[in-house]
Amino acid sequence: MSILQYFAKRIGLYLVVLFIGITVTFFLPRLMPTNPIDGYIGQLQSRAGQTLTQEATAELRSSLEELYGLKGDILTQYFNYLKRVFLQFDFGPSFNSYPQPVSTMIFGALPWTLGLLLTTTLLSWLLGNLIGLVAGYFHNKRSATVLEVIGILLYPIPYYILALTVILVLAYFIPIFPLAPTFPNSGFSFEQVGGILYNSALPAITLVLAGFGWNILSMKSLAYTTKEEPYVIYARLKGTSNWTRMTRYVFRNAMLPQVTALVLSLGTVFNGALLTEILFSYPGIGLLMRTAASSGDYNLLYGAITMSIIAVATAGLVIDLIYPLFDPRIRYR
Amino acid sequence: MPKTFRLTRLLVLVLTVMSLLLSACGDQSTPSTQGIGQGAATAQPGQTTAAQAAQTAATSTGQGTMTDVGTPRSETLIVQTFDGKAANPDQQNPLNAYAIWRGFRELGWSFLWEDDTATGKSYPELAAGLPEVLNPQNTQFKVKLRPGVYWSDGVEFTADDVIYTLDIAFQNKTKFTRVAAYTSYIKSYKKIDNYTVEFETINPSYDFATAMGVYTWGAAFIPVPKHVFEKQADVTTFKNTNPVTLGPYTVKSFDPNGFWQLWELRSDWQRSGWGNLGQPKAKYVLYKDFGSEETRTLAFSKNQYDIDTFMSPDSIQAAQAKNPAITTFSPTLPYHDMNDACSYGVYLNQQKAPLDKPEVRWALALTLNLQQVGITSVNGQFKSSAVPIADTPITRSIYVDPVTTWLKDFKLADGYQPFNANFGTELAAKLKEQGVADAALPKGDAISQSFGTGWWKNDPAQAEKLLNSVGIKKGSDGFYATPDGKTWDLEFVIPGDWNKVMQRIGFSIADSWKKAGFKVNARQVDNGEFTTVQNTNNKFTTMMNWSGSCVYNSNFLNSWRTMNPSNVKDVNSSEALTGNFFRVTNTKIFDLIKASTSMETTSQPFITNGQEIMKELIKDMSVINIMNIPTTIPTNSFYWKNYSKQDNFYAAPYSWWSSFKKTLVNIQPTGQK
Repeated sequence: MSILQYFAKRIGLYLVVLFIGITVTFFLPRLMPTNPIDGYIGQLQSRAGQTLTQEATAELRSSLEELYGLKGDILTQYFNYLKRVFLQFDFGPSFNSYPQPVSTMIFGALPWTLGLLLTTTLLSWLLGNLIGLVAGYFHNKRSATVLEVIGILLYPIPYYILALTVILVLAYFIPIFPLAPTFPNSGFSFEQVGGILYNSALPAITLVLAGFGWNILSMKSLAYTTKEEPYVIYARLKGTSNWTRMTRYVFRNAMLPQVTALVLSLGTVFNGALLTEILFSYPGIGLLMRTAASSGDYNLLYGAITMSIIAVATAGLVIDLIYPLFDPRIRYR
Repeated sequence: MPKTFRLTRLLVLVLTVMSLLLSACGDQSTPSTQGIGQGAATAQPGQTTAAQAAQTAATSTGQGTMTDVGTPRSETLIVQTFDGKAANPDQQNPLNAYAIWRGFRELGWSFLWEDDTATGKSYPELAAGLPEVLNPQNTQFKVKLRPGVYWSDGVEFTADDVIYTLDIAFQNKTKFTRVAAYTSYIKSYKKIDNYTVEFETINPSYDFATAMGVYTWGAAFIPVPKHVFEKQADVTTFKNTNPVTLGPYTVKSFDPNGFWQLWELRSDWQRSGWGNLGQPKAKYVLYKDFGSEETRTLAFSKNQYDIDTFMSPDSIQAAQAKNPAITTFSPTLPYHDMNDACSYGVYLNQQKAPLDKPEVRWALALTLNLQQVGITSVNGQFKSSAVPIADTPITRSIYVDPVTTWLKDFKLADGYQPFNANFGTELAAKLKEQGVADAALPKGDAISQSFGTGWWKNDPAQAEKLLNSVGIKKGSDGFYATPDGKTWDLEFVIPGDWNKVMQRIGFSIADSWKKAGFKVNARQVDNGEFTTVQNTNNKFTTMMNWSGSCVYNSNFLNSWRTMNPSNVKDVNSSEALTGNFFRVTNTKIFDLIKASTSMETTSQPFITNGQEIMKELIKDMSVINIMNIPTTIPTNSFYWKNYSKQDNFYAAPYSWWSSFKKTLVNIQPTGQK
């Protein structure tokens, strides 16, 4: 298979995955036992300051069906949806925050999610793999055992417990960071950026701690196994230094599965980090999705899930496309 | 140097650098504690640490501690938001869905009439007096506006604003999502002069002041500034961000992510919509989400905010242990505010067999061991109510006491008397037996004020007798089976994590029923599905709910006018109901409701009708009313004092009701900087 055929096949597969994903996304919320109109009316009736009369409820129900685009048969709604998503990348208005467009809400939350999760995913990958590499390569040294123990200790701690521990230590007992962040409201200045970094530090530390334990353990065992490969032994016999063998022989080969894991986790970044967002009052896409799912806000749910599908599918495509760069064997198949 | 040592040294170096970095961060952010080191006035030795550390995120500027949003803490009242994060923080147009829980009703808007939540009576706010009825049919009203009220941008509020708001609401009633309450109520309106408007309603209206003003927590009709809105190209998509307000506060800044919003007192607050109520004491009010219950408890104990919302009793206890400035609504049980308009109850689909038989519904009531449920789920911190409304200081003399007197003699068809007037006394005794301190328990008459006037007996034997009488008997598996011999699977819908108090009560009720022989499936649902189940006959069997019993004063129609034949659907109907969530089919109730719609809502005949409706609901056991909604609203008196409490009750203490304006007028700074 030529490299072009390889690329064409992967891109074709990518488009099919997108189409199926987006179609499932359209139909799935409609199978949920939640009705967005009931949800909104219930909110008005019981929680938002009005007791609606029967006439008002009927009138509102009819208006909402019209405004939310829920009138008409499901196929018409589906084709309208495909047209809007593929041609205009428009998911319509949020049902719960009508007339706020869903895209505005998603693009408002996305930079926060990406800023936090991309940074912490990369950081925990880098730190974890470096520590794991050292721990695996020098596996018989006492300090390597210490590093491994760090990974073993961190990896199994449930995220919730880890996050609460970090909050208690760094925001309560030693009040370095805020218990509840106050992100600056708008504009751009060094002070604003500083405020954002300061308020994001706790969730970032927690995510890095939660993520790098697995990377340490995984890279440690890969490095340990690779170190015993004949080509590494051959390099040692040739007199290459430890540094050269560790970085150029062991790391390059051991990192292949780690790169796959990294790209896949970068794809899932678009799902947000719900627990982090709840625990640290962090504005991200996870909270948006949770609210949308619980209140039957189809449009917001479509938007958020579609973004996620595109991201995960794209991550898969990127892996397929860049893999030949890391693994020359693929180029020769 | 051995390589192992080099690696170890590198590790130590990294750890040292990290420690130094953290310490450096700490130096920058730790506030000066000068002037705040005394802790709460009532703080005990060893507890000042919490107070001193309270100002974690602030900086000293010479005028005391500053908040995270740059205002002096001593001038800022900080409130936990009701809804956590707002999904649409910049949407501030009250004619559409907007960031409603960010203080708009309490601080920014002003209404024609407000409700005095201490008495349940309406009083004029923007209006100069109560509405004047112009015809015997009670469909025409004259409303005089108070002259001298100004919008926050200095323009006077007049009848033109009222007329304009109604004009755009009617013109766009299919596009705005928050105008249906009055566009389906008002038939016509006209301006008489700058301070007078006349209205005509579609139906006779005896509650004009609450329909167009506030009944409990906010008004449907919110006047908008004509001079601002008329300049907009499309008022239906206009966000009204940083609005011109009628209330004494304006939005100073807000978080576009929806976690906080800061309000500032207008310099001309006296000529605002409720400036005549007195001076609001806080120059700034910050609504902020302090996150999960865990972080809220920590922040609250460090005086980072002043009023919480719905914190669980366990967390309150934990916060109080760290900080004595934190107090509950009442120093004795049930500790929390019990004066919400609505009450918790078990709603039953009376159209679905075998729940269509009153004997079955009564059996469920008599097997619900409320003493056990209340102790297990809310530590005994609840006020029971057998009458299907909340038992509050306002409703007690009007409805609860008269119906309770009737209940003491009430008998079921077989002569059994189900009411237990000693429920409160027995509960107090049980709590004492379980180790609750004597000082925390109410005594004498206070028992009824705290735990209610009584509830149903817990009598599984009588319940079995009732069930047997309609052919429902226990099977070999120990569970009740329907007359055809099949085990009766009883679905019981309860809220998921979004209402933890109801969730806990629901599970405890299910447990109580299971012990009595009902095979209960307690199913947790999200709030969207909750409403769908509530509204739809074919999805509903039994559920925990509160939305059908919201009677705050003598006017029960506000909640119960939807009990009418048009809201009775077929048992298998998937069509959504627009009310009557009790699924009442009793025609006597329908007749009483209909007759009441043409009565003055404070008149004795109206009240008598209300009592009769309650008696009918009880006879049918249409709803198993359980308890008032226990609203935990702990306050922190480190910076502010004189909140509304049981022994100092001047308004409903809720920060998300428009009556919060009375709190702002009544609180006092403690002088802590």
